[in-house]
Amino acid sequence: MPRPLFSLLVAVSLAVSLHQFGLAALIHAKAWLAPILVQQAWEKSLAGHGRSVKPWPWADTWPVARLVVPSLGVTRYVLYGDSGHALAFGPGHDSGSAPIGSEGVAVVGGHRDTHFAFLRRLRQGLLVEVELPDRRRRRYQVVETSVVDSSQGLLPVTHSGEQLLLVTCYPFGAINAAGPMRLVVRMAPAENGDGSRLSSDLRA
Amino acid sequence: MNLPRLYRTVSRDRQRFECLSWWLCFRCLPVLLMILLSLLLLSATAVRAESVAAGDVGSGQLLLTDQQGKVHTAMTQRSRVDMRISGMVAVVRLEQVFRNETEDWMEGVYAFPLPGSSAVRFMQMKLGERRIVGKIKEKEEARKSYQKALHAGKKASLVEQQRPNLFTTRVANVAPGEEVVVELEYVQTALYQDGRFSVRLPTTITPRYMPGIPGDELRSLTVLPTHGWAVPTDQVADAPAISPLQHADPGSDVQPHNPLEIYIELDAGMPLASVDSPYHQVILNRSGQLYTLQLAAGKTEMDRDFVLNWRPVAASAPAGALFTEQVDGEFYGLLMLVPPALQQPASLPPRELIFVIDTSGSMGGVSIRQARASLGRSLQLLRQQDRFNIIEFNSDYRMLFRRAQPATSHNLQLAGEFTRHLHASGGTEMLPVLRAALSAQDDVDELVTQPPLRQVVFITDGAVGNEEALFGEIVERIGASRLFTVGIGSAPNSWFMRKAADYGRGSYTSIGEETEVDATMSNLFKRLSTPAALDIDVTWPDTAEVWPQRVPDLYAGEPLHLLVKLGSELPDQPLIVSGRVGDSDWQTSLQWPAQQSEAAPRHAGVASLWARKKIEQLLGEKHRAEDPQSLRDKVLPIALRHQLLSPYTSYVAVEEAKARPSDAALESRPVPNSRPRGQSSQPYAYPRTATTATANIWLGSLLLLIAIFVRLCRQEGEHA
Repeated sequence: MPRPLFSLLVAVSLAVSLHQFGLAALIHAKAWLAPILVQQAWEKSLAGHGRSVKPWPWADTWPVARLVVPSLGVTRYVLYGDSGHALAFGPGHDSGSAPIGSEGVAVVGGHRDTHFAFLRRLRQGLLVEVELPDRRRRRYQVVETSVVDSSQGLLPVTHSGEQLLLVTCYPFGAINAAGPMRLVVRMAPAENGDGSRLSSDLRA
Repeated sequence: MNLPRLYRTVSRDRQRFECLSWWLCFRCLPVLLMILLSLLLLSATAVRAESVAAGDVGSGQLLLTDQQGKVHTAMTQRSRVDMRISGMVAVVRLEQVFRNETEDWMEGVYAFPLPGSSAVRFMQMKLGERRIVGKIKEKEEARKSYQKALHAGKKASLVEQQRPNLFTTRVANVAPGEEVVVELEYVQTALYQDGRFSVRLPTTITPRYMPGIPGDELRSLTVLPTHGWAVPTDQVADAPAISPLQHADPGSDVQPHNPLEIYIELDAGMPLASVDSPYHQVILNRSGQLYTLQLAAGKTEMDRDFVLNWRPVAASAPAGALFTEQVDGEFYGLLMLVPPALQQPASLPPRELIFVIDTSGSMGGVSIRQARASLGRSLQLLRQQDRFNIIEFNSDYRMLFRRAQPATSHNLQLAGEFTRHLHASGGTEMLPVLRAALSAQDDVDELVTQPPLRQVVFITDGAVGNEEALFGEIVERIGASRLFTVGIGSAPNSWFMRKAADYGRGSYTSIGEETEVDATMSNLFKRLSTPAALDIDVTWPDTAEVWPQRVPDLYAGEPLHLLVKLGSELPDQPLIVSGRVGDSDWQTSLQWPAQQSEAAPRHAGVASLWARKKIEQLLGEKHRAEDPQSLRDKVLPIALRHQLLSPYTSYVAVEEAKARPSDAALESRPVPNSRPRGQSSQPYAYPRTATTATANIWLGSLLLLIAIFVRLCRQEGEHA
């Protein structure tokens, strides 16, 4: 092979590879940076008695809840809407489903490789705390985790009882971003009263 | 390998490169990346193993399913429509072909829409060459005979009305791989508005919001499974019956989930300037005044309404028409009349316009864009002296101003900003917002006198389950206000919006695509600003029974539309219609068709339309405090006599022979609808929850490796 062709091949491969790394870095940078801004918006939202505050002026989403898993040390800000746009910045609440913390099934989706990577560590019985913009606090308990094929079934939305579904793609670490499998973590409100006792019991 | 030796090897390697940076770039970086890559690979495998342990994938079970078990398309459906339009009356044959794709015996349940004014008057079940004509029966009776056949293993079919525009077909005991055809015939009228006729054929159902508190105890009321996704609530007791499942992924015209074929014969009875179908590509043939029409692609996905429009040439635009039919020795008539247009629109007194815009979850996708565009256009059409307000609603409602404000440029700017930031989310709680929009301002003071004209423009897809409660609210509160509804989206609940406008004494328009927004809103504003034709009176013979009984006021571009039963003879006297348009009176007369009953042109279907109208009007009485039992007693005989589907009657067809062997089990499955085109994913569709980051890293690493490999090869070549 002639010399210039070699150089060209090396240059092109390097350039494309750099571009790919750049894209990946951008995705992770956005996912890492956004929550910092979202956190500030959330605090303003709390101070403003539940008013929606956009994390940056041109954002088309805003935080609607704060999700904390004490046993894993995980904190996530749930954004409005589960379009691809919102999910780049944080887990998103499907605006068509029930509002979080009220009667009905609320669906929150998140990217498996960024914000919802922690879902694989959720086990049955784990406690998840949710704070709402009006300072209400809800405690949920993981009822079950299941892997479903989204091309086969539908998420049933019944209006009976309060539930929170966390949805992310499955399997973790897979290359294909458009795969049909989903991991669904179903959570129901933890029994009223002493939630901390409950969690220590379960950990034991 | 000890440390000094390693150092020597590394420095010797370094000297092979000209400078340090080259060495770093082509030796260190690749090695680092290789290490990283192997780490990534290792961790990914570890994670996979871990998560398999977490969820119980091992069983291969899909845990998240509906109550009936796994949702999959065990039963598929395709439809064929044959429509004959004569004048203004369309007689439609709808064939639904159900196919069992499984190895088991099946019952299929299919919920489907029909036009809100359709009179379903015939049903038959076709099994290969055999035809079993369906019988109209009282609802419970029909259910019982269907259920008996279902358990006995006989093929049977049941067609029920859930709403005037939402029906359910059930087919029982379909053998594995078998096809069962259910054929329906219904009559509908073409709509004439703004000089254009149109016929609408809905094909799918936008998922409806069910307000109220859920109650599982209500579920046991029905024995036949409905497979709906919703749970009955205290406000919508039949929620499961009107919430059919949808295919998870949107279909396309090339590969439809529910294919639809359409064949139309149009005999308008007048020269036409144009015939078109705005949402589908069609092939049009013409011979004389007869047009035939079919889909260009042969079939289409049932994901949006099919609409056919035709416009008469200006010179022959009809001012009025009488269609008659004789059934069982009795004459029935359909009167269509266009009042003269006002030449000089009188200056209108200042008015108050309240825009109510639906921002619920079902409006997501193209619908909310259309709604925003319509609202934006409306704001442009406001006059300086108008007062206006905007109310958006989903689970809750939010007003732009506390009370209506004058349309100053500042206020319009605020409104524009408000409109641009509307998003679709949450439920569809229509009752409170209707209450707020329709109740007159209680706090009128001396400075703000109540304006004489208060018009409410209601922009929505009408996807709610508690229509009747809303009608009641409108009847109770409409007062001097007028309600105009604007239907949005690919598959709006047109019946609800048309009836709401009826009860609200306004009119209904629909927008199916964003390109129509301009023309439709301009027409609507013409209607809003031109006074209606009032006090319309028709000189019917004494024996005539006319529906609707109270002649409604008309808006610009709208025709009078009355159905009448005339008795055994057509009257001799011409029909005289009089009324008031603007400040002047007008009067017109219409000749009845030829007196000879044999020669009288028969417009098949007018009798069914009359009966259907009568039932609709009688049922409307329940909002004016009519006892439901006496209503039923009035409606049931008419429905049975005219063989019409109604809330109290159903069609059932049962084959005599037993088909299913006694030892074979029967399963019941829903037949899913297609998702309305352009609608954003519903709550029960899964979000897309993976980024391309992983793929990016893999591809990047791969290319980097190639670059290194190529570079190394070249070096080898140079050294050699």
